[in-house]
Order: sequence, then structure tokens, then C-alpha cells
Amino acid sequence: MLKKYILSIICIVFFLYVQSYTLGCKNKDENDLNNLITEQDNTQSVVINEEAINEIISSFSSPVEMAALMNSLNVEFSKKYLVDPKLTENYDTNNKKAMALGMLSADLGYLNVYQRSSLIVEYLSAIKRLSDDLKVSQFFDFQSFKRIATSNDNIDSLLFLSVQSFQEMDSYLRESARSNLSLLVITGVWLEGLYLLTQVASEKETEKLRERIGEQKILFSMLYPILKIYSDDPYFESLVADFKEFQNIFDQVKITYEVGDPVTEVIDGHVVITQNEVSVVEITDEQLQQIISTTEKIRNKLIKL
Amino acid sequence: MKKFIISLIAAFAVFSLLPQKAKAQCPQKMVYACATETQSIYLRDFNTKLKNTTAAESGARWTVVLNKDAHYRFNLCVPEGFEKKVILTLYDSQHPEKTDPYGSTYDPASGKHYNSFDFVCRKSGMYYVSIRFKDGVTDKKTCAVGILSFVGSK
Repeated sequence: MLKKYILSIICIVFFLYVQSYTLGCKNKDENDLNNLITEQDNTQSVVINEEAINEIISSFSSPVEMAALMNSLNVEFSKKYLVDPKLTENYDTNNKKAMALGMLSADLGYLNVYQRSSLIVEYLSAIKRLSDDLKVSQFFDFQSFKRIATSNDNIDSLLFLSVQSFQEMDSYLRESARSNLSLLVITGVWLEGLYLLTQVASEKETEKLRERIGEQKILFSMLYPILKIYSDDPYFESLVADFKEFQNIFDQVKITYEVGDPVTEVIDGHVVITQNEVSVVEITDEQLQQIISTTEKIRNKLIKL
Repeated sequence: MKKFIISLIAAFAVFSLLPQKAKAQCPQKMVYACATETQSIYLRDFNTKLKNTTAAESGARWTVVLNKDAHYRFNLCVPEGFEKKVILTLYDSQHPEKTDPYGSTYDPASGKHYNSFDFVCRKSGMYYVSIRFKDGVTDKKTCAVGILSFVGSK
């Protein structure tokens, strides 16, 4: 009798805890990114606003855009740029798995955009295994994925399902107090996207690719301070040490801004707004080569862990 | 009976741990329909509930990184009857939401509502997307979904 009573109490307390946690995760709306880091005058220590961090992480979460950009620039598809999914089979920590999940998601986005459905199943299987291990596979309807991929029926649905599942999985990681893993997933997406871009640029450089690579400074400067926050963890500590190389290079890349008012036109009943405030990237040949080689080195090190 | 009650409580607790789709957000079917009408590459969605409250407090705001020279499309989808009551707005710190946003599905000068607008980005960086009830609208609660998609590179 007493045992059952205690069990009931435990269940109720657990339920209330979960409810309060869920409510506490809402209304990110009210937070300002300016509150991300507050320096305390006397100690110079850094106080972190976790919700602001989550807001920044969530702003990164499209594993498709870099591939879409390359496709729009008529860059040819190449499988050699992608992570070999077999390499991820023996990863033994959640940190490594989260990083790999991000990289494979970026590669899946690339395969989706280039409509390489024959390769998609292999990547989906690897993503399923990693997401099972991280207990986030509930967001991926792998049966539907495989059915669409193998029938080559509706590739747009596959892209939609892939991106949405990724987005939901990422949100869930953050809402279930696993922002560290979400951060690694996003870092994996960013790094793999940069790798794809730099590999293409190393073979055929264009002014647009050069500029896209230089302006990764903006994303890096958002990502790097957050990675440093978690550097008590040895995996993050090592990652931050590697990323320090990026910081040294990106510090030299100059980005300036030209002011201008946006222009709004209605074209065939459709509103098109063109921004005239322009960012201008100044990046030397040497800096570009350094970014290309550093990206290759760090990305290859991470996938071979 | 007691076992039943305990099971019920446990079931509630487990249910609460499941991924929360039940935040009165728009259903997946509606998100998919909205995403496929963009005729461009789907990047992400902004799915929210809208409460019966003042316009400034309704809806939600998201951060999004946009890249220079990318041509984006923002679509807004709402349940029938709410087409002229909900607004999607794109803004940043230099172009505030209420006074000088980059773009919106509502043009206050003409009073026209659009279900989408395109944005040709010239400055890489962080932007905000909000979806809220229009000022003055205090309607019953509903949901709304915004879609960000990639049209091409300029």
C-alpha cells in the first residue's frame, strides 16, 4: 500500500516537473540577442543567457541552403565531397554522433537539392543509426523517406521531410536541455557546408564563391563564442582549439557595409523587395587558401575520430 | 483501480515527454501544403499558435541567418477566415518590426494583404521573422505558418 502511494507521488512530482520544464522552454520571443553574454564588472566572468544561445543556434538550422546556393551557381554534383557514411559507424560518444549527424544532414541536403535519390538511402540509414543512438529518431519517418527515395516519386516531398525532421529534432534537443548536442549538430552542418563550398572553390574559384566563403566570418563569429562556453567538455575544448585557427584567419577578412534603402516592386502581382544595404567582403588569395586548407584539415580530422 | 490510476498518471508523464506537436501549431499537412506552393526550395518553416491577446503579444519571433545575393521567398499560410488578420514581417535591428521593416505580407499604405513576398538579400547576417495578429485584431486563437524558401542566387 505504502509502496504504491510513494510510486504515485513520484509519478505526480515527475509529471509536474515535466510540465514546468515544458512551459519554461516557451516564449523565447521576449529575449534579445543583446543579452547573450553579459560581462560582470568585477570578475570579468561571462554570464550566459541560454535562451539567447538557443535563438542563435536555431537561426542556423537549414541543412539545405549551401547546396541550394551551389546548385544555383551551376556547380556540378560530386559525390567525392561527401562524408562516407561508413566512417560514422564506430563513433562512441554522443558528441561525435551529434557532429556527424549535422554533417550527414548537410550532405543529405546536398543530395536532395541535386536529386540524387539513389544515394539518399545510404545517408538516411546512417542518419537513422545516429539519431537512434541520440534518442531523436522519432522525428524521422524513415519508412516514408525510403519509400520516396527509392521510388524517385516526389523528390520535393523528400526534401521537405528531411528538412522538417531535422528542424524538429534540433528543436527537441534544445528544449530537452541538450543544447550542447544541438550546437554540435549545427556546427556539423555549418562545417560541412563550408567544406562543400571550399572544395568547389579550390577546383574552380569564382568571385561569388570567394565572397560566400569570406562572409562565413559572420556565422563563425556567432558560433565560436557559444562553442567556447562548453569548453569544460574535452570534446568542445579540442574543437575550440581547432577553431582558433579559423578565428585567426577570419580576423583578417574584412567585411564592410554600404548603406542604402530597400526598393519594393510589385512584379506580376508579387512583391519583391531588394535590399540596398550591402555587405562587402575583402579577402586575399592567401586568406582564401588558408580557409580552404583549414576547413579540410578540421573536417577530415573530425570525421576520422 | 489503484494500478489503473498509477498507470494513468505515468501515461500523462510519458505523454508530456513526447515531442510537443500539441502546442496548437498548424498541422503538418498545412505546413506541407504551404511549403509546396512556394515553387522554390524549402529551407525552413515558422509554425506558431496565435493567442487571443493584444497584437504586440501574439505570435512569435524567430531569428534567421540570410546570405548575400540569395533570393528568398517568404510565404504565410493561415486557416480560412484569417487571411487578413495575420502578418508575417521580416526585419532586423536597423529596420525595426513596427516602424521600418524590410518586408511584410501587409502593406499599411494600400491596405493590401499578400500571402508572400520575395527578398533579395544584399547583406549577410542575422534577421528576424515574426508572425502576429495585425494591430487591432483581437480574434479567437488560431495558428499560422511561414515558409522560408530559396528562389535562386542573384
